[in-house]
Amino acid sequence: MEISVIFPTKNREYHVKRAVRTAFKAKRVHEVIVVDGGSRDRTIELAKKEGAKVIVQSDLVYPGKGVAMRDGAYLARGDVLVYLDVDIKNMTPEFIEKLAEPVINGEAEFVKGCFERASGRVTELVAKPLLRMFYPELSRFKQPLSGEIAGLRKLFYKVEFERGWGVDVGLLIDLYKLGAKIAERDIGYKDHDMKPLHALTDMAYEVAGAILRRAIRDRKIDSQWAEEYLKEIGKVDLGLESGGGFV
Amino acid sequence: MRTLLIGGGHSAYFAANSLREIDPQGKLIIIEFTSEKVDVLSKTFPYAEVIRQEIDGVEDYIRVNWNILDAVIAATESDSLNLRYCKVAKESTIPLAISIINNPLNSAIFRDEGIAHIINPYSLIPVELSEILGAGINVLFKSEKTRVLAISIKISNERLLLELMRELSRSRDASAIFVSPSGEITTSIEEASLGGIGYLIGSKERIGKFLRIARR
Repeated sequence: MEISVIFPTKNREYHVKRAVRTAFKAKRVHEVIVVDGGSRDRTIELAKKEGAKVIVQSDLVYPGKGVAMRDGAYLARGDVLVYLDVDIKNMTPEFIEKLAEPVINGEAEFVKGCFERASGRVTELVAKPLLRMFYPELSRFKQPLSGEIAGLRKLFYKVEFERGWGVDVGLLIDLYKLGAKIAERDIGYKDHDMKPLHALTDMAYEVAGAILRRAIRDRKIDSQWAEEYLKEIGKVDLGLESGGGFV
Repeated sequence: MRTLLIGGGHSAYFAANSLREIDPQGKLIIIEFTSEKVDVLSKTFPYAEVIRQEIDGVEDYIRVNWNILDAVIAATESDSLNLRYCKVAKESTIPLAISIINNPLNSAIFRDEGIAHIINPYSLIPVELSEILGAGINVLFKSEKTRVLAISIKISNERLLLELMRELSRSRDASAIFVSPSGEITTSIEEASLGGIGYLIGSKERIGKFLRIARR
């Protein structure tokens, strides 16, 4: 089984070279894909120089990473996809190997990476409470918003990617609903810059929106009540008309 | 002509309509990924054969049918898929591999991958805005195929008028018409007036020279 490693990037010239080089050193990695969100620095140039396949995400207006993740999956040719943040300072080939191992061995079809450090604020205050309410079977995941994931490429083609920050929890719920075998794998310590609190507001809304849209779709909430009540709260796009969820 | 059009969104819709006008007798095959859109497309384009395929299945379809296809137009909502399908079409020696891209920033990446025919649906926005807002220089049209370029230049000063006059008089690969500030149209640069607009068309090299003169 061949692995495609995918890095969503934007203005990451200080990290991309090392990340691509590290990814190519991991076992079974046959391609590294950088999906860029419109960098104004040398991210694209450096990624190409290191041998990565590069594409700019199809939708530049949307600032989140969901479109980049989808485009990465669509460009990839490997049997297994591994997604990683490009700015993990202590990234090693073993990160990739550990994430992909359960998929390669057939123990899982989709793997969520988790780390030794404490979960983030959006995870603890938004994602976990909502998952406990609507998808208690997924509350066992320590880091449901982790962007470090691995899975069978063909599985990613069966679900719709949220466009923004709700993509990670959206994939978790949708792949669970599809009946995929899901595992969580501890991949050690992650040295990574934390976002400042004010930068988490949009992320929190999008994560909440992604979970609530699915709860409505899966009839865990009365859609009429949800529409009326949650529209009063504002900002959360319920996407009731477009549906959301499976392709 | 037998054309394979991939995608069921806006770009594909406009491409299908254009193809019908350009080549009414041509055979059009449309590939879409979702069965709902296949139904809609079948009703919208009754003259086309509409097929549902998986994402990876499109490449197999191209490889199997390469000898009966004259053109592949990749017009999906993902530039990654457009790139993949165009590359397979090119590898399969299909004469025309065309991509309608979603993000203009991907033009250079597609070119680097050997995809020569790239349609940027947003390219008219700066042209139209420049025309409406009266920009000094406007690139109206460029053909990669014939290397023809058309531009408009606002004749804002005497120097520019004289230089254009001199350059045009010795150009065999460019021609022009001029519109005066009052709206009169002439093909003679001698009759062109300050404040008017010159519309120039010609070889990419010659018109490039006019652009450099105007930008000086």
